[in-house]
Amino acid sequence: MMKVLVTVKEVAEVEEDFVLDGTRIDDRFLEYDLNEWDDYAIETAVQLAEAGDDVEVVSATIGPERCEETIRMALAKGVDRGIRVWDDTLASVDLLDVNAKTEIFNAIIAEEEPDLILTGVQAHDDSFGATGVSVADAAGYEWAAVVNALDLDADAGVAHVRRELEGGVEELTDVELPAVLTIQTGINEPRYASLRGIRMAQRKEIAQQTLDDLGLDEGAVESQITLTDMYEPESESDVELFEGDADAAAASLASVLREKGVGAQ
Amino acid sequence: MLDYVGLEADLDSEERMVRDTAREFVEKEFKPIVGEHYIDGTFPTELIPKLGELGFYAPNLDGYGLPGLSETAYGLLMQELEAGDSGLRSMASVQGALVMYPIYAYGSDEQKEQWLPEMGTGETIGCFGLTEPEHGSNPSAMETYATKAGNEYVLNGSKTWITNSPIADVAVVWARDRSAENTPVRGFLVETDRDGVSTNKIDEKLSLRASITGEIGLQNVHIPKENMLPGVSGMKGPLSCLTQARFGIAWGAVGAARDCFETAREYATDREQFGGPIARFQLQQEKLAEMATQITTAQLLAYRLSELKERGEMTPQHVSMAKRNNVRMARDQSRIAREMLGGNGITADYSPMRHMANLETVYTYEGTHDIHTLVLGQDLTGIAAFE
Ligand SMILES: Cc1cc2nc3c(=O)[nH]c(=O)nc-3n(C[C@H](O)[C@H](O)[C@H](O)COP(=O)(O)OP(=O)(O)OC[C@H]3O[C@@H](n4cnc5c(N)ncnc54)[C@H](O)[C@@H]3O)c2cc1C
Repeated sequence: MMKVLVTVKEVAEVEEDFVLDGTRIDDRFLEYDLNEWDDYAIETAVQLAEAGDDVEVVSATIGPERCEETIRMALAKGVDRGIRVWDDTLASVDLLDVNAKTEIFNAIIAEEEPDLILTGVQAHDDSFGATGVSVADAAGYEWAAVVNALDLDADAGVAHVRRELEGGVEELTDVELPAVLTIQTGINEPRYASLRGIRMAQRKEIAQQTLDDLGLDEGAVESQITLTDMYEPESESDVELFEGDADAAAASLASVLREKGVGAQ
Repeated sequence: MLDYVGLEADLDSEERMVRDTAREFVEKEFKPIVGEHYIDGTFPTELIPKLGELGFYAPNLDGYGLPGLSETAYGLLMQELEAGDSGLRSMASVQGALVMYPIYAYGSDEQKEQWLPEMGTGETIGCFGLTEPEHGSNPSAMETYATKAGNEYVLNGSKTWITNSPIADVAVVWARDRSAENTPVRGFLVETDRDGVSTNKIDEKLSLRASITGEIGLQNVHIPKENMLPGVSGMKGPLSCLTQARFGIAWGAVGAARDCFETAREYATDREQFGGPIARFQLQQEKLAEMATQITTAQLLAYRLSELKERGEMTPQHVSMAKRNNVRMARDQSRIAREMLGGNGITADYSPMRHMANLETVYTYEGTHDIHTLVLGQDLTGIAAFE
């Protein structure tokens, strides 16, 4: 029996035109959706479950009741059950930082003891990009970040992974289980939930847990980071369109590059 | 997305998920390719098993691997599919409501076991043969007939305007049983690879181009007698299937009209003439206001129809009113949307003219607008104008 835990997050997407209200964006301009990276992590987990004989996939999220639909979509795609952590303390926290998330997921890991944890590389909204690795460190698990290919040898307890490094370099690594892998987009093609899956998902469990249930208190979510300002950076862009056939366009491009000093001796 | 009086806010979570999945699928997998298929006069057949995997065929039926969703969820699915193209919704309507439904409702256990699972996944494609070259609005005058010969039936006749017949593995053929008293109309499951079956394609359609249409020719076609649908006799058979499909059309038309509206609204706010967006002109605003109002009232009718269907109180006449109203609405409004797009509106780069041309078919098939008028007229006066 193998257990895979997938952390998922419902992220806010900002509409094209929005208004800032201090350090927040008004709810009117936000739409909520599953974090893109997590969709790939879910697909990875579900594929493992389909390939193995006895694999349980559990999803965990931190978020208000609104998120249930997002989790249910994961259940519809093949996740077996979900855990959602929320309470008044969490609701009153302004900024849930990486440490806070680490504490919470660590408590879940202690209870669930998964063999493999899959997270997204980053969340589309706050983009800390650190939760996965931080959780591994706290739980004492091995880890690999920015994984874009996975070949799991469950019997040997090893995950053969390919990682995407800077500048187009890729690395092949073997990671011993239990481990955390942060999943990169493009590792697979996330499926659509089927209507049969949606039907079945209505009967799957989403367990709600409070900090108290997890043996944590307010201290766990206190943050050393404060959000001090939020503004739209001024952006300036110049666009020059090259007309004509390939030859003419290439000639214009070359002269622009020369003017800018590219390729100068 | 237009939902002016917030009807979708009252959907349950399952229904919302169905809507979102269908909407995303149409947006990402279908809209990018439909324009080209429309111009080429082809259906993206590679999507047929994919639609099955997603459970888009007869999801309101239960058992045989089918999800058994609510009627509203089914309606929402049809709405989202037709926002893509009436041809896409037709694919799902024919497979689900016109072929799987009669097998489900009137088939033997063996027929259900044999056909429903593989039709649900899209491995097997079905078509529905009712219309004949000489009998469209009055199908009860059909000439196609079956005669019993030992353990077989022998079928003769021809059907036309049959959606998907050229790609179908099996046809539900409605024919008069000449071996029975009063030659009742019966349903027969005819595998299209049997001797004597031909399925010529109808080319050069100017409407519903992204959908395959053909004929069914039957010349001394022998089928085992077990291929007859045992559970229904008379015109109730085909008509009850049509009631199912028309229910989906009443919803689908809202989707097509909504797609036209959203396209026109976006275009009007982007397109600048006389120094600003054309959406600032009262003439254009009136068009959007009217379109939104018409779509919303049609949407209300579709929701109410679902409630009645869920309770088992929906009558064929209710469906006639909704099909008649909603398709006319979509046909009229798609034309307004087209006109708001100016010259761009006549290209396949934008959806309104494609929807507009499609809706000519939708206005005509599944009972023409006129015929539904007569159905309502009969219901309201007690006098049938068509007998
Ligand atoms: C693209 C496409 C796909 C189709 N798919 C299928 C399919 O899968 N299976 C299937 O069986 N059929 C299918 N049909 C056929 C469709 O159902 C028929 O075209 C429809 O029933 C009308 O029949 P008809 O074309 O013979 O027109 P007719 O019945 O000849 O009607 C012509 C005109 O006369 C009017 N009219 C007829 N009777 C009366 C009356 N009593 N009073 C007043 N006006 C009247 C009609 O409203 C119409 O305007 C399809 C049609 C199209 C175009």
